[in-house]
Amino acid sequence: MVIMLTNTNDTNSRQITKDRTGVPKKAVAILIAVLAFGVFMVGFDQGEALGMSVPADGSGDAPGTNWSHEFYHDMRHAAGFPCH
Amino acid sequence: MAGAIAGTVLSTLNQGIVEPYIEQAIALENQKSSMNGEMLNPLEFDNYRLWQKGGEIAAGTILGTSYGALFGIVFAYSRTSIPGSSEMKKALILAGIMLSVLFIVPGIKYPANPPAVGDPETINYRQSLYITYLAISGFSAIGLAFLFRKLGQRQAKKAIVPAIYAGIMLVAYFAMPPNPDAITTPMDLVISFRIASIFTISVFWGLLGVILGALWDKLRPHETAKVSA
Repeated sequence: MVIMLTNTNDTNSRQITKDRTGVPKKAVAILIAVLAFGVFMVGFDQGEALGMSVPADGSGDAPGTNWSHEFYHDMRHAAGFPCH
Repeated sequence: MAGAIAGTVLSTLNQGIVEPYIEQAIALENQKSSMNGEMLNPLEFDNYRLWQKGGEIAAGTILGTSYGALFGIVFAYSRTSIPGSSEMKKALILAGIMLSVLFIVPGIKYPANPPAVGDPETINYRQSLYITYLAISGFSAIGLAFLFRKLGQRQAKKAIVPAIYAGIMLVAYFAMPPNPDAITTPMDLVISFRIASIFTISVFWGLLGVILGALWDKLRPHETAKVSA
């Protein structure tokens, strides 16, 4: 942590700035969860996460259909994830 | 927020730059299917493709938010070690490194392919190969970032650390099995698709760096308190 003391024009007034290099652990945990969820859903899920849900594409397919693979299909290809 | 914006821009760009190649590849796939006697309802298929293109927009926002989260963590920990006169310049340097580690280098071994290239039967195997290679690249970079910081003011570290990374990835390149699927789709289509994909993903990482750097410069979240006395 760096503390800077800066004199302003007013000799009785000083500004204190604390420069923190640490990162809150809670924030890191939340961001890692966001990362894992998003990359898994968009890049890798083959029906594991939403396999029990009815497809949202209106196809009327039975639950178990690989919904996220179909929905995120084009981005999987464009972002370099393995797809077919 | 930076990731969500950059991701949405990525998926919008993809609609114009990458989609034409995806459409061409899907048309080839459908041609093959009809030769095998499978019938497609054109109207239903058009609606289905429209749904998938909407999915791409959602996917861009989700993926952008996810990569933005990772970028935020890495930037917060490493910004004091990155050269640059402003947070935006530092963020752009980091964005370039992360683009290389998470997309360009894995893509040298397992490049992006359009539809009609991958075999559905090998998807799990291909995913495990890709994740392994991505993990080797990512975790090597993290380990080497700690080494870079530990080496302090030594100038040689700017050559040594990237050289170690290149060495690790070279070994991994030759040790890992190749993509098992033979490419039967015309190579000009595959290469054009890959160039388009590299272009839009590079724009995404560049934009992510610019937005996060600009926000960091403006908000200065590392300064926890300003007290006037």
